[in-house]
Amino acid sequence: MLSYLVRRLLQIVPTVFFISVVVYALLALKPGDPIDELRLGNPGLTSEDIQRLVKFYGLDQPWYTRYWVWLSRAVQGDFGPSRRFGMPAAEYVFRYRLPNTLLLSVTALFIALLVAIPTGIISALRQHTPLDYTVTFFNFIGVSIPIFWLGLILIYVFAVHFRQLLPAGGLSTPGISAPDWAAITAQTSNFFEAISLYISQLGPFITDRARHLILPVAALSSIQMASWTRFMRSSMLEVIHLDYVRTARAKGLQERVVIFRHALRNAIAPIITLIALSIPAAMSGAVLTETVFNWPGMGRAIFESILSNDYNVAMVSLMFISLLIVIFNLLADIAYALVDPRIRYE
Amino acid sequence: MSEPVLQEKEQVRAQVIVERSPSTWVLALRRFRRHKLAIVGSSVIFVLILGAVLAPWITPYDVTDYNLQKLFGPPRLTVPDDPALAGPCIRPAVLFWKCGMHPFGTDDLGRDILSRVLHGGRVSLLVGFVAALASTLLGSLLGALAAYFGGKLDAIISRFTDIMLSIPTFPLLLILTGLLANRELPLSAYLSDVLGPAKSIVIIILVIVALSWMGTTRLVRGEILSLREREFTDAARALGASHTRIILNHLLPNTLHLIIVQATLMVGEAILIESGLSFLGLGIQPPAVSWGNMLSRAQEFFYYPNGFYIALFPGMFIFLTVLCFNFIGDGLRDALDPRLKGRGFTP
Repeated sequence: MLSYLVRRLLQIVPTVFFISVVVYALLALKPGDPIDELRLGNPGLTSEDIQRLVKFYGLDQPWYTRYWVWLSRAVQGDFGPSRRFGMPAAEYVFRYRLPNTLLLSVTALFIALLVAIPTGIISALRQHTPLDYTVTFFNFIGVSIPIFWLGLILIYVFAVHFRQLLPAGGLSTPGISAPDWAAITAQTSNFFEAISLYISQLGPFITDRARHLILPVAALSSIQMASWTRFMRSSMLEVIHLDYVRTARAKGLQERVVIFRHALRNAIAPIITLIALSIPAAMSGAVLTETVFNWPGMGRAIFESILSNDYNVAMVSLMFISLLIVIFNLLADIAYALVDPRIRYE
Repeated sequence: MSEPVLQEKEQVRAQVIVERSPSTWVLALRRFRRHKLAIVGSSVIFVLILGAVLAPWITPYDVTDYNLQKLFGPPRLTVPDDPALAGPCIRPAVLFWKCGMHPFGTDDLGRDILSRVLHGGRVSLLVGFVAALASTLLGSLLGALAAYFGGKLDAIISRFTDIMLSIPTFPLLLILTGLLANRELPLSAYLSDVLGPAKSIVIIILVIVALSWMGTTRLVRGEILSLREREFTDAARALGASHTRIILNHLLPNTLHLIIVQATLMVGEAILIESGLSFLGLGIQPPAVSWGNMLSRAQEFFYYPNGFYIALFPGMFIFLTVLCFNFIGDGLRDALDPRLKGRGFTP
């Protein structure tokens, strides 16, 4: 197991390196370059200025030279500046975008799991009953519905038809932001007064953020819910007809014990893998949800940075996501081995 | 005396049984016909394909002809009295659908939504079918090659599959679509010259294929790894069959039950990807119509009266189509692989 782990960990390096080369090359071959927008926004730029900028950004070099420069800085933790936001690309991605995405996708993931696992189990245990058919039908709907259209419908119903029952999008209502501890302590020197002020501002902020979360989480989680319920159901059905489950029943064990201790333990192993594999996808694949709900997360950061040729931001976020995928792949395999003792890695 | 006669009778009966026993495919078809949802799905898809193929001949309106006097019209089955509010039509009526009727309403430029949905179906369904077909072909071929030859080839293909699965798909879709739109690249310039306005359709198909073959490869590889060791493969090899013949005539046909289901589900998948990309403005470019790009500006019109129909109908068609393909896929799986019956969705 240990040597397997070490080998897998060592494999991460060439994989991520390969991905970074491919992505960098593709980005560099894409039409346009980082100074296009500058040129459009500033007609006063002379061709000498542009020449100077091209030289300054190293855009006169072939892509592999630029890649080498990027890589040698990246391994030291310097991912270069974001051209559009005037701050280090890594700071922009990890400080301003990643937390929003985490909030959205972790909440959705959690709700989806909370519903999908019990529903899948019950649906499998009650196979061929009206309950099972209803669940299956909703699963079909969930895996077939385009997420952005579901989002549009939700926005129309809750924000337009019912007049702002829930916000149509965005992170928070303008004017409501997280309480600023520094500003409060500047206002008052009394510590307890400051704490009570802080809490009184924190309450509205949290409710506001929660209200903004409801629709995107509903859209995102209902789609994950559908495929996981389906998966849980089929995994449970596969196990429930096996001999050892029959043996457990024949021994006279309680149904509860048979289901939870004998059947579920084996049925849940593939689900763990599935979930581990879908976490990275949830980080990058939420572009559509984030676009519809105007949610400033990673998915949109990647989308916008690619469109506006903000190479550094695109590279940081894409490499981060790729690394997540590789790591979660490994975690999935390890978790599988831990849950299922039949699996041994050499 | 009586014994031989009996034997003969038995023989005759045995022969009859052998002759009448239907082939696997006939049995599968029978099982498929019992799957109600799959039958509903196939019927709906049939109607949709018919509507899409015939769209240029069965719609009174052209997809690009606008009328600024009837923006955001509600669904309406009556013809307005003022002729200025009816047109512009390319034909006065198709059966009960007269010029001036808008069963699904009109959009932000006064274009008929139903006509656009039917025309959009041409592109969306075409992309779905072609991309699914190409992706499954490529995927099965790579999977078969990897499993049959093993060794270094297997290592290369499997490793490449793993890497492709580790690249976040959606961003790569964005980069690739942007890349193929670059006229400076030889491949891209060539595509523009050859295809003209159809370029965005071909690009999107290429991109979907490039990023969706991996699942099929893994599936087929796993199946052929075990089929390779079976006696019939040895028999074929002993008879002197070539590698190509063994793969194409003996191994791949035995994975067909998996491939067919995979391809069906892939059609829905491809339609979803296309609509998502077009929704973001990266897929099918106007003036070409697809269900996805009809939705790309829909959100802006929510606060207009009747603006909701612009979002409602195209999305409903995407949803319906993908749903039906999933029904068909489920029916096919039950029909072709009866052991899995009722399990549903075993990836």
